[in-house]
Amino acid sequence: MIELDEARRAFLLRAALAAVAGAGIGTVPESLAQAQPTQHQHSAQPAVHPHPSSARGFGAFFNDDDAATVAALTERLMPGAPGKPGALDAGVLNYIDLALVGAYFDMQDFYRRGLNSLEAYCQKTHKESFVKLGDARQNEVIAALANGKATEFDWPRPQAFFNTLRTHTVEGMFADPIHGGNKDFAGWRLVDFPGAHPVFSQADMLSKNAFAGDQYIGLQSRAPRRRA
Amino acid sequence: MATEKTDVVIVGAGAAGGILAAELGRAGMKVIGLERGPRLATKDFAPQDELRFFQRQDLRPNVKRQPVTWRPNTKSRATPIPSQSYGNQAGGGTVHYGAVSWRFHEDDFKVRSHTIARYGASAIPEDSSVIDWPVSYTELEPYYDRIEYEIGVSGKAGNLQGRKIDGGNVFEAPRQREFPLPPLQVDQVGVTFDAATKKLGYHPFSTPRAILSQPYKGRPACSYCGFCQGFGCHIGAKSSTLVTNLPDADATNNFKLITNAMVYHINTDNSGRATGVSYYGPDGSADNTIEAEIVIVAPFVYDSVRLLLLSKTDKFPNGLANSSSHLGRHLMSHIGARVFAAFDDRHINVYMGPSAQKHTIDDFNGDNFDHSKLGFIRGSQISAGPAGLEGGPIASAMNMPPPPGVPNWGEGYRDFFAKYYTRYLAMTGQTEELPYPNQIIDLDPDIRDAWGLPAPRMTYDWRRPNELKRIEFVNEKMLEIGRAMGATHVWRAPSSPGTPGSHHQGGTRMGSNPKESVVNKFGQTWDIPNLFVIGSSTFPTSSGFNPTLTIQALAYMSADAIIKQYRKSPGPLIRA
Repeated sequence: MIELDEARRAFLLRAALAAVAGAGIGTVPESLAQAQPTQHQHSAQPAVHPHPSSARGFGAFFNDDDAATVAALTERLMPGAPGKPGALDAGVLNYIDLALVGAYFDMQDFYRRGLNSLEAYCQKTHKESFVKLGDARQNEVIAALANGKATEFDWPRPQAFFNTLRTHTVEGMFADPIHGGNKDFAGWRLVDFPGAHPVFSQADMLSKNAFAGDQYIGLQSRAPRRRA
Repeated sequence: MATEKTDVVIVGAGAAGGILAAELGRAGMKVIGLERGPRLATKDFAPQDELRFFQRQDLRPNVKRQPVTWRPNTKSRATPIPSQSYGNQAGGGTVHYGAVSWRFHEDDFKVRSHTIARYGASAIPEDSSVIDWPVSYTELEPYYDRIEYEIGVSGKAGNLQGRKIDGGNVFEAPRQREFPLPPLQVDQVGVTFDAATKKLGYHPFSTPRAILSQPYKGRPACSYCGFCQGFGCHIGAKSSTLVTNLPDADATNNFKLITNAMVYHINTDNSGRATGVSYYGPDGSADNTIEAEIVIVAPFVYDSVRLLLLSKTDKFPNGLANSSSHLGRHLMSHIGARVFAAFDDRHINVYMGPSAQKHTIDDFNGDNFDHSKLGFIRGSQISAGPAGLEGGPIASAMNMPPPPGVPNWGEGYRDFFAKYYTRYLAMTGQTEELPYPNQIIDLDPDIRDAWGLPAPRMTYDWRRPNELKRIEFVNEKMLEIGRAMGATHVWRAPSSPGTPGSHHQGGTRMGSNPKESVVNKFGQTWDIPNLFVIGSSTFPTSSGFNPTLTIQALAYMSADAIIKQYRKSPGPLIRA
């Protein structure tokens, strides 16, 4: 069981962002760096692992820059907080990374182009990459995607890029962990979904209380049920 | 070249095709069924995976391989619709459906004459194409009874031979006997919905579903796991065609199913008779032909229309069975009004139990209420369950827009969804749509499917005055129910931008007049007596009810007519 607290999330975010070549303090979003002054010292060290992808939550499709951007985007869409697992906790990046060489292989260019357009928009508007913006700025950028006002996009259109990111974030949060997200049932803990229980009793169905079962049941794994 | 000869060839092994295969096979006719997809088994549905089955629609047509396009009007260019709600394997849509199994009301079969009698001719919108069905409820009732008992439907009668019974649907048409199985167990959705609607003076009941509440014919009762709509049932408790009529067809020893067979042409001869069909095999080979005395077209609406259009010849230059020019017209679908209710004082746990349309009121469906001052005709079934008709968190996050003032991403959304996922229910107004002649299916000139065939193209926009007024009315009723539930938040979903909903109907409508319909009440085409079309494409009007049980009842009626009349005297079953 993992404790989903600020330090844990900061670690996960750092792990994803360490992918960026020459990773250092500058790759951590301002807000997080400010919120976690004692944490970012570690991320100042360059990645030295012989397999730089390992343990960073991706490695099948995204390059380092794109992985960092998707990690930051999805964390803004479904942000973690103490007791509230978010996209980083759930491994949404890993889910999307795997899906883009699997079921969604035909969306590779959708992501490449969308991320390129996002970078161009952020450079034009804020003279910075998305990952270097603070939470508030990142939220402004995402709002501009969602309402279609972000410039520098042709295909995909900004709303389509937003909608796909949201859909894939939802999938990575809440799909069975077999697909690479919902790590340690983080998404199910957030919303209190117990998974694939084979039977619900009449008492379960009539209850006005939270389901009393004591397990999360996934396709390949189970865990004691304890809501985040 | 693979050519086989048989008595009957059936295109599509779904709700209609499965029944015809079993019935005609039982009567001693040799039947070959051609199914575009695979034949799966109950054991294939063990993975209860919301991503695979609900979200990625593993049991439905792949929209990239098998595109269906839509445009709101003839001035715009059609683009592929993002998801399709019908089936893509033996058993068709009944494999993944919610199994909601309605008999239509008596007046659903005579919308035109009933409306004129009660409200006058001016009540029918001038631009609509409402006609009466050529078949009555009374005529179809034995076949409704037959399918309910054949496959196992759970419910409680509300009108037994005219006697109204509390707890059942008191608005239902009279039935001769009780359902074969008692209603499914109630859950917190049903309890909450029933209490509020009763308080308002309405008549809630457990929706009749082809899901076993008790063991039946060797199949087990439902375990209430909740992986239901969108999924195949992993224990076979859902009475899909896959575990009912198709095994019956197998048992006749007169039925052969060929899977991964995509029919692309109905063959006809110079006399105007259908001689069989040609299909692409699983390896892509095109030179496969079945020669048959009777050709039955029973896929989903799109493919029935498309196949008839694709099969045009010099003798039938506008497509088969299209001397009326009504082929592809009068397309309808169910328009979904949706309202959500979220509670601070209770959990609902909407992910438990059979997921689709759990409990219902029929008070505002059909003509069960007085329309004289409302400015529209016909109504809506109102039911409660999860958003998206499936209760997992992906379906809820994708199908439930948050209440006004709450964003659909970020901290605000996270906190909303984390709190209310187990504390919400959705209401759906499954709304009848009138037929309109310029709502059509034809062949897309630009977009082709994986076999190189033109995609079916819909030209369709439900936003007509009659339908818009009705949607507003239904939304208001559901908001009223949500408030009566004592919910903390009650809000509605925005209406769709004219796109077709689910349950497509029409396109090869039945009628009494060959000049304004494609088939007679037996699904026999007016133009080619040995060519039948069975399915919801033959519905002249849509009702507010799910179509499957009526498709199944019509299939039994057609099978009876083929066995008892056509076989003795091949030719038109009805003289126009």
